[in-house]
Amino acid sequence: MAEEFVVVKDLHKSFKDFKAVNGVSFSIYKGEIFGLLGPNGAGKTTTIRMLSTVLEPDSGDITIGGHSVRREPAAVRAIIGVCPQELALYEDLSAFENMVFFGRMAGLENRQAREQAMKNLELMGLEDRAKGKVAKFSGGMKRRINLAIALMGSPDLLFLDEPTVGIDPQSRNHIFENIQGLQKKGLTVLYTTHYMEEADRLCNRIAIMDGGQIIANDTSHNLKSQIGPPDRVSLEDVFLKLTGRSLRD
Amino acid sequence: MKRALLITLNEVKLYLQDKGDLAFTLLLPIVTFALIYGAFSGQTLFKATASIVDEDHGIYAAQLIGQLDGIDGISIEMLAPDEARAKLDSSDRLLVLDIPAGFSAALEAGGRAQLNFWQRGNGGLEGQILSSIIRGVADGMGKAFLITSQVKENLQGTGVTESQIDAAVQKYLDAERLTPALGVKEEVVGGATDLVTQYLPGIVTMYVLFALTMGARAIVEERRKGTLERLLTTRLTAGELFFGKYIAAIARGFVQTLILMALAYAVFRMFTPVTFLESLFIVLVYTAAASALGLIIASVARSEAGASWISTVFTMFMVMLGGTFFAVAPGSVFYILGRISINSYANEALRKIIAEGGSLGDVIVPLAIFVGVGAVGLIISRLIFTAVPGGK
Repeated sequence: MAEEFVVVKDLHKSFKDFKAVNGVSFSIYKGEIFGLLGPNGAGKTTTIRMLSTVLEPDSGDITIGGHSVRREPAAVRAIIGVCPQELALYEDLSAFENMVFFGRMAGLENRQAREQAMKNLELMGLEDRAKGKVAKFSGGMKRRINLAIALMGSPDLLFLDEPTVGIDPQSRNHIFENIQGLQKKGLTVLYTTHYMEEADRLCNRIAIMDGGQIIANDTSHNLKSQIGPPDRVSLEDVFLKLTGRSLRD
Repeated sequence: MKRALLITLNEVKLYLQDKGDLAFTLLLPIVTFALIYGAFSGQTLFKATASIVDEDHGIYAAQLIGQLDGIDGISIEMLAPDEARAKLDSSDRLLVLDIPAGFSAALEAGGRAQLNFWQRGNGGLEGQILSSIIRGVADGMGKAFLITSQVKENLQGTGVTESQIDAAVQKYLDAERLTPALGVKEEVVGGATDLVTQYLPGIVTMYVLFALTMGARAIVEERRKGTLERLLTTRLTAGELFFGKYIAAIARGFVQTLILMALAYAVFRMFTPVTFLESLFIVLVYTAAASALGLIIASVARSEAGASWISTVFTMFMVMLGGTFFAVAPGSVFYILGRISINSYANEALRKIIAEGGSLGDVIVPLAIFVGVGAVGLIISRLIFTAVPGGK
């Protein structure tokens, strides 16, 4: 039996009268890539914000690596890395300066931060652009820097909130290969995306959220089996079947 | 604490990268200083170039040119005769002083010499002022020659040599120049000599407040970009983040003020070394208070535009009530209203030190008010500051 690295129990979060997250429970095993899918407004980002200690839940509990997010947020932050959906970079600084700064924030000493920054830039294929200002980077390069920053401090758990939005297939493939490589080294990943084929390719298990609740949680194969032969239906078919076809925005 | 200082360093680095912000916070105050300097500094406002053709090349021509060159605001341009006429023909110059050949020889011989003004039309306003100045200098030289020649004439046959006479007369003329028998005293009315001390403290405090409250926009921008939220998923605590931003705001405001005050020190000679340090201390404490107010704006504003508007209105309100652009009579309604502006306390404290020869002991009350505003402002801003809605 694999070790449960993330355990979420009966999580609730409301903003005034709106229940953004309503009784969410799931667990993520160590070394697993766990997909969290859902239409816009389903509660994915709010869930990630609570897991990453930015938002405090109204009720429920989250344990990451044995640490309670409510009671030991500092210990949780020491073992997580977050790659937010929006690019969260200082565009006036160079890629290297961004990496070193966030590395220092992740608890690294200056020398360690500089070494790790170069290593992660090489991992993302951006070592030649280390000194370049981020403002002059292409969208794909910025996405890769956004991900590389999340790896500073060598986290045990990585939150990837739609990390491949708006980039070309080459950059996307580069990011996939990196994520899979990191998984092989034992990294646990919580992955959200609107691209079903990404989730199908990367995730060991997938939870589908809608209306602030988890409405399905299984492997891609088992989810597909619920509506037909797995080799004939796509994850998108499952998603639309479960969440409906009505527009959400 | 280390991470808070890293936040401060990063903030300063970003500030230095933003050329527009730098220009706004550093150059604009300097330009304002320059305007005030030009208007009220007491230096001559007349600056002109005297174009001269020296056809004489003698000792007295050189003496005349030297005296003109020594007058504040006048610079000398030597031209050849043809060049001068060409420039006059093309209206490039409106007035040229010609020192004709034989000028020095005539004076040396005790005869009469003449200077010529070549001018286009009436010589222009600048030319007319210049010609008056040149006439004054020439008149002075002429009188000196007259006195010297009369003394020589009177002492003829007494055995006193000409060089002794020249030296003695020159000595008396120099003494007369320094302490003339008929002097002119300039008395500036309307308190103009205090204009610099009246306005400069206000301008320093206004720009500090403006820069700091505009700094609030940068924090809102960081929130919008998502970097604030990202930082809060690292080991950085919200308290460290907040403290780092606060120190950065103080550093930014203080560095700006340091530059402005150093300029005032160098240009206006407003300070002694002691009053300079005392004024810097006042500004440091004031900056800490203003930074806390800037953080309240950062905490309240939800957009960069909102932060800019709040900052602008807030700063203008504080500046007007603070008596920045006009003296406020104690006891007036405006004075009482001005008590809610921290600028009024900063301006008064600085004026007390700069203009009235006061010491830090005389400005304890304003300093205490700044400390209080800073502490309360910090607490309020920390209580309402959130990186994400509903979050920490």
